[in-house]
Amino acid sequence: MIARTTIERGLLWGTGAFLLSVPWLIPALADRFWVNVIAEILIWSLFASSVNLLFGYVGLLSFGQALFFGFGMYGVAIGVEKLGLGFWPALGLGVAAPVAMAFVAGVFAVRLTWHYFAIITVVFSLIFYFLALTMKPLTGGDDGISFTLPSTFRFGASEWGFAQEAFQYLFILFTVAACLYAMRRLLGSPLGKAFMAIRDNDVRASLIGLNVYWLRLIAFVIAGFLAGLSGALFAFFGRYASATYMFYHVSGEAVVWTIVGGAGTLLGPLVGTSLFIVIREVVSTHWQHHSLIVGAVAILIVIYAPRGVVGLWRDLLDRWSAPKS
Amino acid sequence: MTNTLIALSINGLVWGLIIALIALGLSVIFGLLDIINLSHGDFFMIGTVIAWTVLTTTGSFWPAFLLAPLVGFVLGALIQRIVLQPIRNAAALSIVATFGLSMILQEVVRMTFGPTPRRILPPIRGTFDLFGIDYEIYRLFAAAVSILALAAFFLFLHHTKLGTWMRAVRHDPETATAMGIPAQRVYRVTFGLGFALAALGGVVASPITTVDFRAGVDVLPFCFMAVIIGGLGNLPGTAAAAVLLAFLEGIISSFATPTVARIASLVLMSAVLLLRPQGLFKGLTK
Repeated sequence: MIARTTIERGLLWGTGAFLLSVPWLIPALADRFWVNVIAEILIWSLFASSVNLLFGYVGLLSFGQALFFGFGMYGVAIGVEKLGLGFWPALGLGVAAPVAMAFVAGVFAVRLTWHYFAIITVVFSLIFYFLALTMKPLTGGDDGISFTLPSTFRFGASEWGFAQEAFQYLFILFTVAACLYAMRRLLGSPLGKAFMAIRDNDVRASLIGLNVYWLRLIAFVIAGFLAGLSGALFAFFGRYASATYMFYHVSGEAVVWTIVGGAGTLLGPLVGTSLFIVIREVVSTHWQHHSLIVGAVAILIVIYAPRGVVGLWRDLLDRWSAPKS
Repeated sequence: MTNTLIALSINGLVWGLIIALIALGLSVIFGLLDIINLSHGDFFMIGTVIAWTVLTTTGSFWPAFLLAPLVGFVLGALIQRIVLQPIRNAAALSIVATFGLSMILQEVVRMTFGPTPRRILPPIRGTFDLFGIDYEIYRLFAAAVSILALAAFFLFLHHTKLGTWMRAVRHDPETATAMGIPAQRVYRVTFGLGFALAALGGVVASPITTVDFRAGVDVLPFCFMAVIIGGLGNLPGTAAAAVLLAFLEGIISSFATPTVARIASLVLMSAVLLLRPQGLFKGLTK
């Protein structure tokens, strides 16, 4: 009998090897547009991970992560197009702006919990969504801002940048992988344990001397960083920024992806995001009403696998590897 | 200037009464089942679509006032039984479930009704003179219908057995069950009623707004604002907050864009959430 961890480790290495080989494997085997689909999945699962950090590990359901995604996008787009920044300074702005915003929003938001927290996060994101719509000269309003890509690295005459598909893909892959690895280390650290103590019982956590308010604020800012970085990557990936990505539907999708994949598991958001984006890409080429299937899958998973796909998978593995009685 | 101010504030008042109807449904579902219902706006939208369908098939608008709440009630009760009862009203899961539901409802309407927005002419034509401006008679009628429906709902809640059951289950589900109240059935009826109210709001509003499969997306945040500012689960507060908010947005729209008005009410809502999370009217209304 093979232990569960061995199977999971094998699966993880297999997925890692596949993801690394995508830029060469996909054009050989399938339509090359799938390279970009997988890059997009990676970006959105980083975004969903920010929901996962807050909900799965601190117990705060944020319905407004799109605010920081939008700030990441606008940070990059405004940096490149209006301020004439290069790749790295624009990326820095695309990360700094959402982190600062997360700090300011978090100071107020984490005073509230549960329903009130969910609602105040969505309210904050809506305020800035409407602001972005009205501040046309800065944000481009409905149309958004398109920009021309700056190069990422330059060695003498040779240039590397997002214009090269393989470079773009690998840059996104390494960034997302580094974030997930850092998140894994974080969750294993005393800080991560403190997060989970708050998730399980915030009163008890405060009684053993944890500063619940500060810890929630730290988690909120880290989540803002993850969401902002994914937004910054998405801006470079799409070469534009738009207010539509700050609407509450974007936040809602990340919540759905996270819970369907398995909240409170590191790879749950990746699984959930992959599931929905693959369904969307496969079905939408044949049938324009793919939302029906997406909605039905979300409902079915919530009813039959309340701990998400990863939870379902673990239950099955446990049942399979348990000694027969 | 004063004319537009009057017109816009009365428009806000009328719209606020309609929103109060929809938000009341949201608040009932929230208060009793502890569910943040993200598909609530879509039931408003389905109400408008039913109004359009009834008008185009029968040539008359009036049957929609009966049909839409009925369809809303049956569909709501079915959805509670099929989707929400199995997840036992777990709050986070119910958000995902109702989000999925919202996608399905919008897509079904897009498939059948089509993606293009349509308009309905008011069934009562004509205008009358209101402080020197021509005001549509239908809008006053819409306000009257909303007030009637709100009053009927409060009477139902306080003077019928079912209404008393609903309040009892909300107060303490376990004791209520022990006293022999069929809590599951009460949940189902509540969900049905909540959706019926939203669908009725859709019919009333359909000649004022457009009939569009995305109509619920804009209405939903506004209803949530009313529920929050009025106080979660505080039904009279919700109704009052809806009217107040729409009235304020109407006044602000007379000198700024509607988007600025929306931002103002969102900021007001954040202040209420942070300073008085129990709602503005706690202590004023019981």
